[in-house]
Amino acid sequence: MTLTAQRPATGEARPYRFPAVVRRSVAGGNIVAAHVPGHQLAVATLLLDAGALREPAGREGLAGVVAKALEEGTAARDSTAYALALEGLGTELSMAVDWDSFRVGVQVPVERLPLAVELLAEAVRTPRLDPADVTRVRDDEVTSLRMYWANPGPRADAALRADLFGVDQRAGRPMDGDPDSVQAVTVEDVVDFHRGWLTRAGTLLVVGDLERLDLDVLGATAFADTRAEPADAGPPLAVPTRAERRIILVDRPGSVQSTLRLGHPAPHRAHPDYVPMSLASTVLGGAFTSRLNHLIREVRGYTYGIRSDFGLSRRFGRFVVSSNVQTAVTAPALVDAVAEIARTQSAGVTEPELEVARSWRAGQLSVELQTPRAVAGALATLVVYGLPDDYHARLRGELLAASVDDVSAAAAAHLHPEGLTLVVEGDAAVIRDELAATGLGDVVTATF
Amino acid sequence: MPPNGYPWPIETTRLDNGLRVTVSQDRSAPVVAVNLWYDVGSRHEPHGCTGFAHLFEHLMFEGSVHVAKSEHMQLIQGAGGSLNATTNPDRTNYFETVPAEHLALALWLEADRMGGLVPALSQETLDNQREVVKNERRQRYENVPYGDAWLRLLPMLYPPGHPYHHATIGSMEDLNAADLATFKNFHETYYAPNNAVLTVVGDADPAEVFGLAEKFFGGLAPRPDIPAAPEGRQVVIAGGPARDRVAADVPAPRVYLAHRTYPFGTAEYDALTVLAVVLGSGRGSRLYQRLADGARLAQPDNIGAYGVDLAHGPAPLIVTATARPGVTAEQLEAGLVEVVDELASGGVTEAELDRARALLTTSWWRQLATFEGRADTLGRYAVQFGDPARAAERLPGWLSVTAERASGLAAELLRPIDRATLTYVPEAMA
Repeated sequence: MTLTAQRPATGEARPYRFPAVVRRSVAGGNIVAAHVPGHQLAVATLLLDAGALREPAGREGLAGVVAKALEEGTAARDSTAYALALEGLGTELSMAVDWDSFRVGVQVPVERLPLAVELLAEAVRTPRLDPADVTRVRDDEVTSLRMYWANPGPRADAALRADLFGVDQRAGRPMDGDPDSVQAVTVEDVVDFHRGWLTRAGTLLVVGDLERLDLDVLGATAFADTRAEPADAGPPLAVPTRAERRIILVDRPGSVQSTLRLGHPAPHRAHPDYVPMSLASTVLGGAFTSRLNHLIREVRGYTYGIRSDFGLSRRFGRFVVSSNVQTAVTAPALVDAVAEIARTQSAGVTEPELEVARSWRAGQLSVELQTPRAVAGALATLVVYGLPDDYHARLRGELLAASVDDVSAAAAAHLHPEGLTLVVEGDAAVIRDELAATGLGDVVTATF
Repeated sequence: MPPNGYPWPIETTRLDNGLRVTVSQDRSAPVVAVNLWYDVGSRHEPHGCTGFAHLFEHLMFEGSVHVAKSEHMQLIQGAGGSLNATTNPDRTNYFETVPAEHLALALWLEADRMGGLVPALSQETLDNQREVVKNERRQRYENVPYGDAWLRLLPMLYPPGHPYHHATIGSMEDLNAADLATFKNFHETYYAPNNAVLTVVGDADPAEVFGLAEKFFGGLAPRPDIPAAPEGRQVVIAGGPARDRVAADVPAPRVYLAHRTYPFGTAEYDALTVLAVVLGSGRGSRLYQRLADGARLAQPDNIGAYGVDLAHGPAPLIVTATARPGVTAEQLEAGLVEVVDELASGGVTEAELDRARALLTTSWWRQLATFEGRADTLGRYAVQFGDPARAAERLPGWLSVTAERASGLAAELLRPIDRATLTYVPEAMA
């Protein structure tokens, strides 16, 4: 065996470049584009201000039903003809609804993008919304959610969200709704949501070889017959942190693992502390080498993985630790996790840990932004959170410049171990007494 | 003229110890993807040792002669990189993508665990990662509805003794029985330079990569007598169609129909790949049109057909659908069987082929859009077909499938007598 003992030195750093952001106003809408040559595929995404926060109370999941209904035929053709035309170009519609946006995208060989955008616009702007189709899509969506809710996780997520934000608030209900809220969606709700939000121009994100694409043509297609009516996002929500920690038990009889969701409210995405806050979370639980994964997976062997992150949207955020642990070690895993959060909050981070975290996050910018699809996602971040065009270029510098003091201060300010809601979804009969004995907080049983 | 499926440069070399090295330079992003394919997977596991190749993969992250426990991850992440590894029946791969200036670090780390893992293996590490893997098994296979479908389908498709008979995750009993000596032996047997392919894609000069490969890997001794996995090309099946009906805690009836096809990489498997798209990819597919949209037996979000790209035996084709409320497992199965039988008897149309070609073209370029996707693809073709440049053949292979060939293959493969049928029914309905 002949191995080189000496770890090699780092070579000369290559400059990191985020592609130049191209902005264009066309036909009442905005185009935000990036020139990424050398790829066979190009991406176009229509970004509309029609996220889950726009849904009326009791109709959570409505936007998802609207998204599915768009593919059930258009003014020009029925659903089968539409599917065959679109898939004949080599793409399907990628639909995504989050708290702040409604996105419909296509990804095709560059020369097919104009045709794909025509079909995208046809579905978004002129869907048939035939009442029988909408009702069927709604029922299918209910079934789909029932399937999803049979997995471990969704009920724990819902219990955490309700406890943090209040079950009477939109932010306190599941982003995609639940089977009951979707069952309540009517044809009229779908038509109204479409008319109210999907007929506004919005923003078209285009990424690919722009020398082979005519942005004006794409914009004219995407924004034809729309209203240039901007929507007011509203201010960040004021969400208090709980004064005392509590445990919420969600029963899953016979479960061989317990699903953990430990969280508290956090600032919104455009908060000035975003960089140090997210670095604190990286040290705590954002990377494989982070404190939580090291202790609970690599030392204890309690889990396949555990992570933390700040899930941040335009008007609110939350800090959450997620894992699945073997049933028999639920209580010790919970105690360990809370202790690591508390230690990070009180004692901050160390330079060796932060060095890994900042290099990792900075390096990930170049590693992750290789494809047109990834760059389109980065452009969406700019648009949704109102960030400047040089945001990604500057983000690298800001990550690398963050000091131990900055990040420790953010951990102290934005982690709240005493105000955590500890949701445990597992076999209640087996774990309830052990959870109570941890002394981490009162144990309450979720009502769903 | 058919398109070239790999329009980037490829350079290769072979070290004296047998390590094959492939470089595909692309300076469009300042990163490099490093990928090692080892020609060992769960197909090599003898009876009683299921899950060992995958558990071993975990141990490869736990330190080697010059790298402490957890340090591998720390160094790659501290360099700004992403990393992971996967094990399947055919092979084990290890990969990282790092900013280009850390290329040497990535190669050094890979060499250290290829040549220097055994002295660092400890009982403590094995016990820890055994628990991690058992939790992976619980999380992915045991604690989710239908999670064990793959574990049930494999033994229905492949008889005892066939290398694909058991699933890569292994059994809890075998994992519990794993001892340290077995893993030391496993490394010494399979983790040799002449059983691996190193691929580097991205912002790197081929000559530099070849030099670094020689420097870090060149001193590792080859192993002359690496044992082959059991032969898997011939599958002898006794009796007729296989059936399994499972009453479980699932939210709706679900049916899987599975067939053995041809090994990945053959012209027949190209035709099978096209058939699977015709049958089960997208809203324009037969299954969606007939069962989700038409007869409304199946849930639109849970219907599809796909081949599993295994190269050392007849790869499986899996067809699956989940019942809409009020539809029984029997009704759903009858619907699925009708669509599959029609494909076997009536073949495919030119229009269906055109749709499949367009979707497969996008899918191919999406797979190659990232450096890591390219590195993994080149590694596969080097290991399984002896030449990374053969990656270029796949897309034209798909596009050249004719209706006649696809129809003939459907008739040959999709016979009811060769079918494995797995049905889940909710306990309350059982």
